[in-house]
Amino acid sequence: MNASASDDQTDVERVLAGNISAFEGIVRRWQTPLVNLAYRFCHDRGRSEDMAQEAFLRAYRGLAQWRKDAVFSTWLFALATNLYRSELRRIPARTVSLEDIAEPPDTRPADRGQEDTAYDRDSAVRRAVFALPAKYREALTLFYFHDMDVATASRSLGLPEGTVKARLFRGREILRSKLPQLLAVPHLKEA
Amino acid sequence: MRRLTEHDEAEINSILSREDEILPSSGFAVSVMDAVRREAAAPPPIPFPWKRVLPGLVVAGLALALILVGGVAAIAQLGKVTTPQLSMSMPPVPPTIFHGGIGSAAIWTVLALLVAFVSVKLSMRVASRM
Repeated sequence: MNASASDDQTDVERVLAGNISAFEGIVRRWQTPLVNLAYRFCHDRGRSEDMAQEAFLRAYRGLAQWRKDAVFSTWLFALATNLYRSELRRIPARTVSLEDIAEPPDTRPADRGQEDTAYDRDSAVRRAVFALPAKYREALTLFYFHDMDVATASRSLGLPEGTVKARLFRGREILRSKLPQLLAVPHLKEA
Repeated sequence: MRRLTEHDEAEINSILSREDEILPSSGFAVSVMDAVRREAAAPPPIPFPWKRVLPGLVVAGLALALILVGGVAAIAQLGKVTTPQLSMSMPPVPPTIFHGGIGSAAIWTVLALLVAFVSVKLSMRVASRM
């Protein structure tokens, strides 16, 4: 068990014993990941904090339901993912349709550097991911959020790994078909 | 549609795994803890008083069953009394249950008032205990 996991377990036990302030340790450890995960779902900074706060509140209410056979963070991410998905179904984020995501024009001025081109391409791909149907978008979002770990993404989504893999493949295929020119650009050297 | 190649997949992986990280605002943790403390201070929700409601539900169920039985009996009686030839031209003859005289009506009225009184008293008593 790593330091964070044992810290989580200690804090949970203290909270369950009646020390509410111990929950602050959990909040401070997981606030950045939870806010970032929410941001990837809604692309709205203010809303992502609201959603993350609600996730922490739900975690607090359901702390006794955490079975210690799973790591606390796995339970927390699954709870947050579930909440974010239902929140986005209730009030969808503002998205543009996949058809409306224009690829940046290929007629680039000569003075534009490779970094600008890469930036345009990256932001177009991210916008395209955001415009995907929910099931593909959620799989892609969780997969990249969890550093391309299918097992963790599938636990967070509560889906079998095979389903998540199929959705990832299909989601990437849609991206490929919608943004053929962008993805044909030779891979640029990372900064 | 061109199929996804390994190069495409690597390209998409490379782009999407580089997503920028945002930092929560400085007061976020404090705001979450305030919400948690409010939650902890709030009284627990009052559970629905099933034990108190159960007798009422049983009585209501019995009353409903009695009404249904009475209704079915009345319809059966109506079917016996009404002849098919006359049913189009003459109004159906009401069953005997509906013309049992003033005495019967008075008994039903008193019974209904009694049930209403008991249910009001019972609900007031339950409300005063809470």
